[in-house]
Amino acid sequence: MMGRIAWKLLPAAPALAILFAWWVYWTIVQPPPSVIPSILDVVRTGAELAFGGRLAGDIVASMGRLLGGVAFGMVTGMIAGFIAGLWRPVADFFNPLVVFFNAISGIVWLPLVIGWLGVGNALATFLIWNTVFFIVFQNTVLGIQLVPEVLEQGVRSLGGGRWETIRSVTLPGALPYILSGVRSGLGFGWRALIAAELVGATTGLGQLIFSGSEYHRADIIIFGALLIGAIAMLMDRWLLAPIERRTVVRWGLVAASRGR
Amino acid sequence: MSADKIVVSGFRHFFQSDSGRVQATGEIDVTIREGEVVTLVGPSGCGKTTLLKAIAGFITPSEGQILCDGKPVRGPGRERGVVFQELAILPWRTVRKNIAHGLEIARVPKAERDRTVERLIGLMSLNGFEDRYPHELSGGMRQRVAVARTWAADPDVILMDEPFAAVDAMTRLTLQEELGRLCATTHKTVFFITHSVEEAVFLGDRVLVMTKRPGTIKATLDVPRHGKGGRDWDSFTGDPEMRAISEQVMHLVHAERV
Repeated sequence: MMGRIAWKLLPAAPALAILFAWWVYWTIVQPPPSVIPSILDVVRTGAELAFGGRLAGDIVASMGRLLGGVAFGMVTGMIAGFIAGLWRPVADFFNPLVVFFNAISGIVWLPLVIGWLGVGNALATFLIWNTVFFIVFQNTVLGIQLVPEVLEQGVRSLGGGRWETIRSVTLPGALPYILSGVRSGLGFGWRALIAAELVGATTGLGQLIFSGSEYHRADIIIFGALLIGAIAMLMDRWLLAPIERRTVVRWGLVAASRGR
Repeated sequence: MSADKIVVSGFRHFFQSDSGRVQATGEIDVTIREGEVVTLVGPSGCGKTTLLKAIAGFITPSEGQILCDGKPVRGPGRERGVVFQELAILPWRTVRKNIAHGLEIARVPKAERDRTVERLIGLMSLNGFEDRYPHELSGGMRQRVAVARTWAADPDVILMDEPFAAVDAMTRLTLQEELGRLCATTHKTVFFITHSVEEAVFLGDRVLVMTKRPGTIKATLDVPRHGKGGRDWDSFTGDPEMRAISEQVMHLVHAERV
């Protein structure tokens, strides 16, 4: 029983270790708060932001942009990935373009896109899409190519046509790779979101961090970083992990991680 | 005399590889009659799987033609079911859903579908595992599901490519007996590929022996089936006639060692 509780709490151990090291360092070195603030400062700032009213609005704004952009990138990436994965000539045609555009970071497009779309949600959506699309696209194509051909042949000799093999073989067979693409896409989506909000928004966690940097408020910056990481972890645990448990883990395609 | 079900005539196949054209089989002529169990034994690489894939419709013959019920084979179809050497059941479907898949595709009503699935679960001793996923089963169990899935779709012809090669020797004996019973009770036309002489003689009404690559049919031997068919290992091993046929096949195969 004790063992099981300890096992459940284990994922929190690295976070506690880092907090402890931070506290030890801060107590011994006593750095200026604009370089590294104390844990207490960060907690106090967090509480002020939370109760001062700004924080909830920033979180809602950021989450809205993130989910919108990631959903857009995911859906388009999966559709394009399926088309390219199922039709070889389409893949040959698009692959050079994908490699070309994948290499160009969203920051490069930023000045141009501000001119096209203005400052606001459309800009953030574009920047997130620009990151998520390629990751999901490439994972989907790979996943489709790695589905064993014999599974498809089996369904075809049961009388299944093209649509039936896509529905009952290709889609579930490629799912482990698609989900892995979605997981990386979410992470990189956060990065793109904060970058977009630094320059192209008036609200959001990116703006919160930006305002912290303008006034040399390391406590705000660190609080913002902790918040982003914590939300990302929660989304992974409450959104993606349950989907995986019910599908690819249940089917034995991916080993269950024992911590969950 | 039953009608000809599958007729392979003048079949030859070549593969395109980086170093040019590779001949996979020599010229092959085979006729499989309705309700007959034909086994094909040959050394590895002789082209027996190529022949089976061509009959299944997964590859188009380089030369010659294949007829099923007098019509040329142009691709896979539900009248020709296949049990594969490697595992081809779907990992994301439970045992029940895997067996029912062919019937779902054919839009068979649910009540009838359930009856067929129950019957095959009983015949293949899968009771109690209906709602398990393949990764939760042993290798022998999974191969039983693969056989049941193909039988459930009720094809006219069943093509089997070394289906028991990957299971352990003990389980294999049981599976071979179960398959023998299934063939005897359902009167399906079966084409069964193997590299095991005993398996070929045990299951076949007729045994074909292939030469090494590029393979051709070297000999055809009839296996007389007395009474219930003699497809259980106790009566098989004690039967001098079966032993004589096995020895004969063994000699023919032995000469083709690679």
